[in-house]
Order: sequence, then structure tokens, then C-alpha cells
Amino acid sequence: MRARRLLGAVALAAVLVVAAGCGSGSSGGTDGGTGGTVKQGGIFTLGSTNYIDTLNVFNYIEAGATVSFIEIYPELVQYSPGLKSIVPSFAESWTISPDGKTYTFKLHSGAKWSDGKPLTSADVAWTANTIIKYPGPTAVLASAVAHVTKVDAPDPTTVVFHYDQPVGNALAQLTYLYILPQHVWDQYTGNNGKDLKTFLPEEHLPVVSGGPFQVIKYDKKGQTVFKPNPGWWGPKPHVDAVAYVYYTNADSMIADLQSGQISAVDQVPFTAVNAVKKSGKAIIDTYPGGEITNITWNSNPYKPQHRELLDPKVKEALSMCIDRQQIMQVVFAGYADPAESLLGNIAKPWQSTDYQPLEFNCDKANQTLDSLGYTKGSDGIRMAPATTGKYAEAAHKMEYQVMAPNSLDFNGDREFSIIQEGFAKAGVKLTEQSGGDSSAAYAIETDDKCDAATNTGYSKFDMALWDWVASPDPDFQLSVVTKAQWCSWSDTGWDNAAYDQMYEKQGTLVKESDRMTLVHQMDQIIHDNWLYTELVNEQGIAAHSPKWDGFDPQMLGYNYIGFTDPHLK
Amino acid sequence: MPQQRPTPLDLQSVEGPGAVALERAPGRKGLFATTLRGQPQAIIGLAVVILFILIAVFAPLIAPHSIHAKTGGIYEAPDSNHWLGTDDGGVDMFSLLVYGTRVSLEVGFAAALVAMVIGGAVGVISGFFGGWVDVVLMRITDIFLVIPDLPLIIVVAAVFGRHLINIIIIIGVIYWTSTARLIRAQVKSVRERVYVKRARSIGAGNNRLIFKHVVPQVAPLLIANTVLTIALAVFLETYITFLGLGDPSTISWGKLIENSFLGNAVLNNAWWAVVPPGVAVTIVILACTMVGQSMEDALNPRLRVGHLAVRRFRMRPLHGRLDSE
Amino acid sequence: MQRSDYILKRTLFAIMTVFVAVTLNFVLFRALPGDAVTGLKCHACTIQFKTALRHDLGLDKSKWAQYVIYLKKLAHGDMGTTFIGHRPVRGELWDPIKKTLAMITLGTVFSIVFGVFTGVISAWRRGTFLDKISVWTSLAFYSVPTQWLGLMIVYFVASRVGLPHGGIQSPDYGILGDPGTVAFLKDRLEHIVLPALTLGLVLYGDYTLIVRSAMLETLGEDYVLTARAKGLSNWAIVWKHGFRNAMLPVVTLIALSLGFIIGGAITIEYVFDYPGIGLAIVDAIDKRDYAFLQGAFLVLTLSVILFNFIADLLYFKLDPRVTT
Repeated sequence: MRARRLLGAVALAAVLVVAAGCGSGSSGGTDGGTGGTVKQGGIFTLGSTNYIDTLNVFNYIEAGATVSFIEIYPELVQYSPGLKSIVPSFAESWTISPDGKTYTFKLHSGAKWSDGKPLTSADVAWTANTIIKYPGPTAVLASAVAHVTKVDAPDPTTVVFHYDQPVGNALAQLTYLYILPQHVWDQYTGNNGKDLKTFLPEEHLPVVSGGPFQVIKYDKKGQTVFKPNPGWWGPKPHVDAVAYVYYTNADSMIADLQSGQISAVDQVPFTAVNAVKKSGKAIIDTYPGGEITNITWNSNPYKPQHRELLDPKVKEALSMCIDRQQIMQVVFAGYADPAESLLGNIAKPWQSTDYQPLEFNCDKANQTLDSLGYTKGSDGIRMAPATTGKYAEAAHKMEYQVMAPNSLDFNGDREFSIIQEGFAKAGVKLTEQSGGDSSAAYAIETDDKCDAATNTGYSKFDMALWDWVASPDPDFQLSVVTKAQWCSWSDTGWDNAAYDQMYEKQGTLVKESDRMTLVHQMDQIIHDNWLYTELVNEQGIAAHSPKWDGFDPQMLGYNYIGFTDPHLK
Repeated sequence: MPQQRPTPLDLQSVEGPGAVALERAPGRKGLFATTLRGQPQAIIGLAVVILFILIAVFAPLIAPHSIHAKTGGIYEAPDSNHWLGTDDGGVDMFSLLVYGTRVSLEVGFAAALVAMVIGGAVGVISGFFGGWVDVVLMRITDIFLVIPDLPLIIVVAAVFGRHLINIIIIIGVIYWTSTARLIRAQVKSVRERVYVKRARSIGAGNNRLIFKHVVPQVAPLLIANTVLTIALAVFLETYITFLGLGDPSTISWGKLIENSFLGNAVLNNAWWAVVPPGVAVTIVILACTMVGQSMEDALNPRLRVGHLAVRRFRMRPLHGRLDSE
Repeated sequence: MQRSDYILKRTLFAIMTVFVAVTLNFVLFRALPGDAVTGLKCHACTIQFKTALRHDLGLDKSKWAQYVIYLKKLAHGDMGTTFIGHRPVRGELWDPIKKTLAMITLGTVFSIVFGVFTGVISAWRRGTFLDKISVWTSLAFYSVPTQWLGLMIVYFVASRVGLPHGGIQSPDYGILGDPGTVAFLKDRLEHIVLPALTLGLVLYGDYTLIVRSAMLETLGEDYVLTARAKGLSNWAIVWKHGFRNAMLPVVTLIALSLGFIIGGAITIEYVFDYPGIGLAIVDAIDKRDYAFLQGAFLVLTLSVILFNFIADLLYFKLDPRVTT
């Protein structure tokens, strides 16, 4: 994600990184053509506002790192273009045992690392087993092998993953198992695995690669150069080299694109996209983005005050006063789609089909609120009547603070003012409370003394303006509203045992249609409880020079074709 | 640097000549008259400041459009409806500029006031009592002078929230130090003056001495200093806001500069979104500087030539000479 | 007071200030809600992961214990390792500082040369049209917000003179091979010119005004009047008596201001996308990389204290009247 605000943008970048990291690539060279007609050669220069913080897969935090990992470290499986399915990569095929607990992969034969050493199932097994053996230092990749007990390599082209239970999204998780050269990394398992984190491959150039490219030059906040790996087992890249260039400031990046100094950029800010289009010097590429902006409602059933906001009917009514069209036009320059589900458009097939899109109808909302007994005072602000019982509250005005972190990649202040205007029409007064950076905002949401065991926490905020970055597999998004994620990922404080059970169960359903049916139900539950008011689903916007073709920005970090497919026209 | 724009302070006025010259300094009432007499730059500066104050006060009457609503297309060029075009959200730039005056001046005046109160108090106490009180207060001042402001600003914004009031306080806290130094030097010279000694000898208490004799004597200088601090505060506000730490719910000139940067106004070739807020800030700083400078000159006839010192950087007076006083 | 006593006193004070600054930097950042780990929302960031990471970074220890460890390490010259990336802070700091130094050196030299030149001319030709132009130009640069001046230069100057909008290296520079030192210096210089010019112009305004007022001050002194009476030529008076004596306050003030510039160029770096220490700090703030921030602010504070100290000594050396 994009450092548009001077302070506070990067922490969220971590989110995107790992979200992107969850995917990787699909079998190469499917589009853009590997045929003889494609022009070869040239240097593809990709501008980005994310930097490659390291080439060590155990120690990265930035999105740029995953973009590079996928080009130098092989993976068993990757996502196909459009993120539609998971396809073979280094594994040519696989079988799943009837109980869903054993996956057997058949690998490419005769593959080699760039230093000439054989690339075999032993490397795969070593990488996976190392992650299992040293859970602390390798935690960032732990979910790639979640529930894996052990990995065997019975022969050089066969590798077997043993799971302790059937895992519904095992393949999706394996898309971010970056296979490392055992002969290079084996010496760094000392200090109880901690040395794995301190080894810096970027200081030993060219990095030993098993993917389509080798890194021959590395400058963290500058230019990193990828050169085709001659010994690679897959389809040859079209270019002579790829240069990945970091910018902190999209202005100068776009200026360089328009002047022809770079071939493509992986992201165009919403406020610049129309200018780029008008200039005619670059072609805009859009794709369904993973990022969904929302109003996060504090749905902690034990929250002490403003408990009227626990009522889904109230939350739904208020949401009906938000002019989402205006948000899309003004904040996102039209490059966004209405969002209804936490799962995001990137995981469209997993969304429930039973609910209607949110209506923009404030009159109806006012009627609902009137009928629920929230009457307007003389100043036009509604009153919440006094309540009794364990969480008794005195009658109070419906005035709330909305926390907004300053790490959003769009103009959150403008989005807030549109929401504020809508809520005012419903008789609810909002004020914006700055949440600071992601850490601070998160600390405000969960509370200092957050403890799931005693249901402590989530007592200090009512609403937040934030976003989630979804991935093609719904597991992560589904997890964020579980009780297990209290004080960690959960930003709503919701506590629903029935849902949590469903979450556990969907994780074990290996048959996709079964899992999908259950996920549809879960998505419906999240929606009906109005844990979030989903606002818009951002579109990914990239751009490339008219001299180039075959650039698929969505594939960066998901499939090695992000670098192998671009070619001169 | 830019954030370190200090309260005005320069060698001459802090030390020797300034303090001496104050013997002949006009009283509070005569200050403006003395300042304005024969100094066209003071008159121009004052006129400009008053003009901006009027704009701020009557903003709702002047601004032709709402500053919260989209009243045009995105980055529309200036025309008869939108005199300064529209910004990245289709909001009228001229109206934003007019309302921005309000917030920017509010921050400028309020923060200068905070600096004046803290700096004035510390300066008077330190200078008047001398001894260990002086040593302790001055050491604290020295330390404040060398701490980088950036962490202070960030933490205040993060812990206490990005509210206008916090920004005002933090600017005041950053700028009080040099005011304290300046006032202390003046108080020291006033204290030694004959009539203060005489007042003491006839048994006047400290409070009486401070408020009846010392404060009125240093007040003109304090006011001149405060006028200069207004300029610095307006400047620092744009700086803080540019770092993304401004109050999200208010529109100031600093915010407009930030918006033009974040909204890629340069790429959109929208000069009308970039140029006006910077020009407004420059004019106000220039005007306040002219007025404040003229006041200082009037207080210090020997330096009538208009000595301006580095104000962009925080600094402290040089030790050797101060300690010898 | 003796010279050695004076220097000793200043040194002790400088050390005390460093200690206070170190402590404040430690305390201030930890006053923020949350820490480097809280903000990580990611697939892998389970509670176990966060706990392990906190332990790794020493964030699970009490703040007092962290402080003691920090001081102990610092006493041995160890600034620790960065939270993000696990690299020695010292090395991580040096790279961006180097880049910033190159830019501010150019900008400062520009401003001192031109500031002194126009300041002297202005004072010499006091009251003339030339003087007025020079004063007003300086006042204008003095009043302009730095980040805005940078934006103006990007907008109206960069493309026209064919210089890059930002960055420190052309994106297509030396991708497959090293183009050589000359090409490197040319490319680097093209990127440094505009940010340095922005800094230079802002400082130019200040320096011209100080030099001018210091010159006028000395030109009004009795001994200059005497020199005039002795029939010395105009230039000789300005140079020998005016300039050399005016340099005392000028040099000290410039030394004082230099200390702040390293950290102060941050908005310039941001506007010009110049990867110096300012941008590195911003990045570290976003990630709550306390170790890096502590190191960075320590260096910034030290630079201020150092230049203050130098200014003190200069003043002491240049001005015989200083006695303490």
C-alpha cells in the first residue's frame, strides 16, 4: 500500500504485504503469449511506492518483498491470472488422500538453482520442516504450513505433506511457501533458528535463485535489478532485465512514467489517475483490488456505553444515509465499486448471494429510527432512551466519535465528511477522532488491558473508519470476527460462539463446494449483524507505457508472470 | 530547520545594546504611535494583518460556496463561478482559502499568546529573582532549545489527538524558550534601574515590584516579540500539517498546501490549488514580520536600520555574555 | 573565569543535555499507545507471533528495564539493531544521513556564499534601490513555507530546465552495468540540484538579512567612523573594518543554525522524494521502529549540541570581550 500520507501509511502496508503474500503465482506464461511473435529484449522498469525491504522471506514486512520473492523462489502452486484458481507451478500435479490429510506433489524434474545445484523435493521438505521446527523466527510464514506435521521427500520429484486434520485452504496457504535453497540456508538454523532472520541474501549477490529471475543489484530504497535466470525450468522471460524502482512520492513516479523513463507503475493514486489518462502518455490498468473500506462498528456485546449501536437495525438504518456514490466519485475518482461483504470482490464466489445491496434511502432510515423509539430533539439530534439491566445507561444524545487512522491510502477526511453529512440527516452527530498510526488506532480499538478470557477490552470506541485487505481465499477475512482474534485481529470485538464453530468447521472442509456453502452462511451472518458497513471496494489502478504489453499488475506477488510476461510491443 | 523557526531573537537585542536602549523605550501607549511614525513598512504590514483579520472574521459572508460540499468538478480551472477553481474533491478553492484564513490566524495568534505567557513568565521570574531560580530555569530553557521538535510534535499529535488546540499548545511550547531569554535579559537591566531599587528600599513587595514596575517596562518588547511569533506560528502550522499531523476536521492554509500535495495537484496541472495558499501564508508572515520588526526598531532606536536575525532556526543566545550579566 | 573552566562548563552542560535528550527520546515514543507489534494486522500475526516478536524485540520487558538496557548499550556505543529488518542502527542511519549531508552541504554553501555577498553589498549600498530589492527578496524567501517553495520549484522549474522531479537516481541509471564515475556524478548532481536550491533559497533569505544587519551594526561603530575620518577608501572600510567584525555574530549564528538543518530538511526530502534521513525517520515512525528513532534523534540532537558548542567556542575565540 501506498505511502500517500507523510506519516502513518506504512504500517498498513504490512497488511497488504501479507495479504499479497498469501497468494503467489500460477503456472507461467499463460498469457501475454509465449509464442514466437512476441518481441524479445528490452528493460522493463517498474516503479513502485513499496520497497523491497529484504530478500529474506522470514524477515520481510513490505509488499515489495513478496513481489521479488515470487520471482526468485519457486513455489509448488500459484494463483492463475485473475486470481481465479490455484494452478501448478513447481509442482506439476498433486493428489489428496481420501481423508484430506495427505497431499502428494509431483515436481518438475531436472530443475536447478541458479548456482547449478539441483533443485529437488529435498529443498521443499527442508523449507517446510524448518518453518515447523522453528516456529518463532519463521512465524511470518507459519500459516503456509498450518496444521502440517511433517513433510517427506521420498524421491527427488515427489514431496508429501502430512496434515493433522483436513485443511480446507491448504493449497491457498501453500501459495506463499517460498522454497529456499537448502544448501545456502542450512547453515543459518543456529541460535534456535534465530539466525534464519539475520541472514541477508541481498548481501550475497547474485542471490541463489530457483525462479525465473536472479537479483543482480539491490538497493533497498532505490533500484533493484532482476536478470533472467538462465537455468530456470519454466518459460523464458521476454525481457533482458526488470528494474524495480522505489519512490516515496507518486508524483515523481508518475512524472517519470509520462516522460518515458520507466515502463510501468504498480499503483496510481486516485487523485492522479484522471491526469494520467488525460495526458495520453500511459495506459491505465485496473483490476479488482483487495481493499474494502468500511465503517467498523464496535460490536462487543459487553461494551459499557452507547449500546444502542449494538442493534443491527440501528446500524443498518444509519448506513442507509451514506451516499456511497459520492464517496466513490469524490474520494476514489470513480475507481471503486460498491462493497457489501467483508470478503471483498476479490473473493466474489465466496460471498452470500442472499442479501440485497445497501440502499441509499435516508427517509426510510429515519422512519426506522423513529419507530425504534429514538426521537429527535429540538436540535435535530436523536436521543437514545434510558435503559435498565446489567448495562443500564441514562438517556443520551446520539453523538459519537469516529476514529480514523491516518494510515489510509485515500483521503479519509473527505470520506468522513460525506458520512458525517449522511448521519446528520438521520439525526446523529459524528465527530472525527484521529486514531494516529495503525498501531495507535489498533490500540484504541482493542484497549490497553484487552483480555479475551475476561471479556475485557473493546470498550473505548464506537465506530472506526478503516479498511481490510481481502485475499482470494476467504479464511483470513472470516477469522477477523472470531472471538479467538480478540485483542489481535478482531476490530469489532464481536463474540458469537455459533459463528466461531462454523469458522473452525469451514477450515476442515476439503471439498470446495461444501466449504463454499458454509462460507455463504457465515458471510450472511456477518452481514446481518452489521459488524461492518462496507463502503467501497477499491479498484487496483496501475499504468504502463504504450511501448509495453503483457503487464498484469494484479499478478505482482501472486504469480511470477508479473515479471516474465511484460514485453515490448 | 523550518520547524525550528524560533521566536525572534538576536544577539543585539538580547544582550547589550537592546537592554541599554530600553532606558529610552516608549511606554505601552506610545508603542504603536512610535512604531508607525515614519515607518511605511509598519503601516503596510499592519494594514495587511488587519485585512486578513477582517477576512477571517467575515469569512461566512465572503466565501461564495460551502467548504464541505462538492460544488464543481474535480480540479476545475478558475472561472466566474469558482474564482480560484476547485480542488481534488470539487470544493471551491476561494472559499477554502477564505475559511483557511480563520484557522491559520487563530493558530497564529493563540500559539503566540501561549509562547508569550510561558516565555514572559519564565523570563520575568528568572530575570527578577536571579540566583538559583535563574540558573534552574535557564538550564531548562537551554535543554528545550536543543531537543529536536519533531518527536515532540509527533507524540503530542498521537497521544492527545490531532486537535487544533493541541497544535496551538505544541507551537507555543516550542517557541516560548527564546521569548524567555529575551525577556530575562531585559528584566535584568530593568531591575537594576534606580527607581526599582528605590521602590524596594521603601518596602514594596515582589509582586508589586514585578507588576507595577518590571512588567510595564518589558511589555512593549514582549508585544513586539509576540507579533513576530505569530508569523512563526503560522509557518509552523503549515509544517505540522504537511507532516500529516494537522487537525483533520479543520481547513487551514497548511492543510490546503498538504491537500494539493496529496491530491497530486501538480500532476493535474492545477496551479490554482497549489499557489494561493502558499502566497497567503507568505503575505501574512511578511506582514507580521514587518510590524514586529518595526516595533523592535522603535524600541531600540540605535538599531533602527532593521536588523533581522535568523528566525528560521531555534537558537539560544551565546552563553559567555549572558552568564556575565 | 579561566578559558579552561569555561570550556569545561560548556562540555558538562553539553553532556547533561545529551543525557536529557536521550531520556526524552526514549520516553516520548513510548508514550504512544501501542507499539511496533500492535499495528501488524496480517495473516501470520497471531497472538503467539506477536508475543514472540515482542519478546524478540525486548518489548515485553518493563519500560524501566528497557531504558536501562538502552543506556547500557549506548554507553558502549551500541545503538542497537532496528526492530524492522534486524540490522545495526548505526549502519542504517549512516546511509540516509550521507545522502542528506550531500544535499544540505550544497544548499548551505550556496546560501552562505550568496547570502554573505548580497548582505555585504546591501549594507554597503544601504538605502539604495539595490539594497531595497535585496532586502525584499530576502524577506520573501524568509517568509515562504519551505514545502511550498519546493512544490513551486517542482511545478514551475523542474520540467522547464529538464531536471528530474525527484529521487536521487534516474530510474534507468546503470541497470545493466556501471556507467562510470562521471556519469554517476552527473546523474547524482541532477537530482541534488533542486532540493539543494530550495534549501539554499530559504537559508539565503535568512543569511542575507543577518549579514546585512551585522554589517550595518559594525559600520555604525565609532572605530569605523574614525576610519572614515582618516580618509580610508570605502571598500577598505567595508572589508577591513565592517566585514571582519560583522563576521563574529554571523559565523556563530550560522553555526547555530547548521545544527538544525540535518533534521530540518525533512519536508524538502518529502517533496523531492529524496531518500535522506528525514524520509527514513518518517518511515521508522510509521513502523514504530523505536531503536532506529532513538538513534536518529540522538544523532539530530547531537548535531544541534555540537554546533551550539562550536558556536560557543567560536564566540569565545572571536570575541575578546567574552569572559565568564
